[in-house]
Amino acid sequence: MNQLEIRDLWASIDGETILKGVNLVVPKGEVHALMGPNGAGKSTLGKILAGDPEYVVEKGDILLDGESILELSPDERARKGLFLAFQYPVEVPGVTIANFLRLALQAKLGREVGVAEFWAKVKKALEILDWDESYLSRYLNDGFSGGEKKRNEILQLLVLEPSYAVLDETDSGLDIDALKVVARGVNAMRGSGFGALVITHYQRILNYIQPDKVHVMMDGRIVTSGGPELALELEAKGYEWLRERVKEGA
Amino acid sequence: MQVLDKTRVEAISQALGEPAWLLEKRLKALEAFAKLPYPSKKDENWRYTDLSEAPLEQEVEAPKGLRLSRDELPELVRRRLEKTDVSGFLVFVGPDLVHAEVPEELSAKGLVFTSLTEALKTHPAQVESALFQGVYTEDKFAAQNSAFFTHGAFLYVPAGLEVEKPLGVFKVLEGGKASAGRSLIFLEDNAKAAYIEEYLSLDLPPTLHLSATEMVLRPGARLRHAHIQTFGQGVWHFHRQRALLERDAGLNDLVVNLGGAYARSEVASELLGPGGESEMLGLYFGHGQQHFDHYTLQHHVEHHTRSDLLYKGAVKDEARAVFSGLIKLERGAQKTDAYQANRNLILSPTARVDSIPQLEIGANDVRCTHGSTTAPVDEMQLFYLQSRGLSRSLAQELLVKAHLADVLNRIPLKALRAHLEAVIEEKVRI
Repeated sequence: MNQLEIRDLWASIDGETILKGVNLVVPKGEVHALMGPNGAGKSTLGKILAGDPEYVVEKGDILLDGESILELSPDERARKGLFLAFQYPVEVPGVTIANFLRLALQAKLGREVGVAEFWAKVKKALEILDWDESYLSRYLNDGFSGGEKKRNEILQLLVLEPSYAVLDETDSGLDIDALKVVARGVNAMRGSGFGALVITHYQRILNYIQPDKVHVMMDGRIVTSGGPELALELEAKGYEWLRERVKEGA
Repeated sequence: MQVLDKTRVEAISQALGEPAWLLEKRLKALEAFAKLPYPSKKDENWRYTDLSEAPLEQEVEAPKGLRLSRDELPELVRRRLEKTDVSGFLVFVGPDLVHAEVPEELSAKGLVFTSLTEALKTHPAQVESALFQGVYTEDKFAAQNSAFFTHGAFLYVPAGLEVEKPLGVFKVLEGGKASAGRSLIFLEDNAKAAYIEEYLSLDLPPTLHLSATEMVLRPGARLRHAHIQTFGQGVWHFHRQRALLERDAGLNDLVVNLGGAYARSEVASELLGPGGESEMLGLYFGHGQQHFDHYTLQHHVEHHTRSDLLYKGAVKDEARAVFSGLIKLERGAQKTDAYQANRNLILSPTARVDSIPQLEIGANDVRCTHGSTTAPVDEMQLFYLQSRGLSRSLAQELLVKAHLADVLNRIPLKALRAHLEAVIEEKVRI
């Protein structure tokens, strides 16, 4: 049961149903891409996985290694090994990255983390991301550019080493160099103990993060799944092509 | 029982062996005190404040002449002394100056740091010229303090002497009786010093505490001043302070309210000469049913002066806070730079803040801005922090500290900053 499993998930916000029966499995050790047009519910799914209190889950379940996490608070989910890289990372002036990251690591590991141990981890992560140490003393995302915010998400990913990560449009708004850096971070995490769901609107990032599987979401549910070639086909033919195909199939 | 009368004032003055002029001043203050009514919600500056449970007419405690060695000091103070970086300090337990340590090298240079009672004997001229210049009979509580105060601290820094390390006054309140004390700080031309006054107590039965701080800054003098109260429960704390800044004088002021049942701080900077600069910082964090009032005045009397005020606070549970700040520019106050900001974080739906920034401008070539914000904790920020594994309470703690960070960061006294951070942390977890 080493997998992140989403089972017939229905969810709404302000009375509007966004997810309409999502079924999806990401086994540990694999990287899956979740694609789809704007408004399909991709980001909603990411936030619900992380436990965003804004949304109401109406039906279904989310299982992490076979255990339901639906009733868990966002921090409990994180401590169980789930990580969401935010589409729009939140600015928190007054809290430095270093302070925050160390507290988060301590929460994750459930023990004190010494300065030396912390710095060793952070330095390695900074190297992978080709990022300057001076960022650590800056306030969390405060005044960061879009690219810096995304890089900061991946820094957290590398330091916290979750078992499962959901990357919510981490590629959007990035130039090709920044995209490569982000991809390098995610690829550094790849291995038998890590599963990821890469949510994206575009195929571009998948040139750098090779997915094992591609799922396409439309109108709140997964409409098709396939290998990496599906992403290329979508890129060439567009979501309308798929929409037509889904209609015909129905 | 008449406990706040002439007989009592005379008894206090006599017990302290005070000169005739001081008794006369006290009796004048008593007259004002007797005439002034206690404030009520009908008064504009008290409209948010409920004094119905305040022990207003409590008897003032009498000095006992207690002296203690360092080891005998109350544990509250000993713990603070371990972590402070003051170079010299006075400890008051109730009305008694029980212990004093002042570096010999500073005394040798003419610095005086002692009790008001002692200073009246050794430096009568300085005390007489400055006492009551800042705080006298401005309102009921100021008048009460001026008539009935039983103790005080006196700092005198001679011209040109620059003292980097802070000097501290620690006062431990014993409770059950009213306590009234003062600080008088006098910096001669181009003198420089840092003065921290800290007020401490255990949880007490209802107790009235009155404090007044007067700061006289002669031309070019520079003072860092901090008034910190971390009283236990039960204390009703009325504090009034006024700084008189002459030409080119500079003040960095900090007022902190964290303890007690009720605390009111009336804080004024008078910019009386060109080139004067006053930085006024405030920090408060209320829990339970605590109520903190802050009334500030940035008074620009002369031209080319600057004031910069930042008061930041947080309230949780059913706590309340009030900020009412006035920037007042006299006619001659051209080329004034005046800033005022009050920012509040509300941690529970039953906590409340009232913030009233005000401007009164009599000059036309000036730069003045003021602003005020009061907002609940940002749920997006909480979710973001929680999504990385931080519990909700730890995330809240981080956000409170973050909110207060820009005031904390502007405190130039490192050990004090660390102490305040620790107290704030404790309060978030209550």
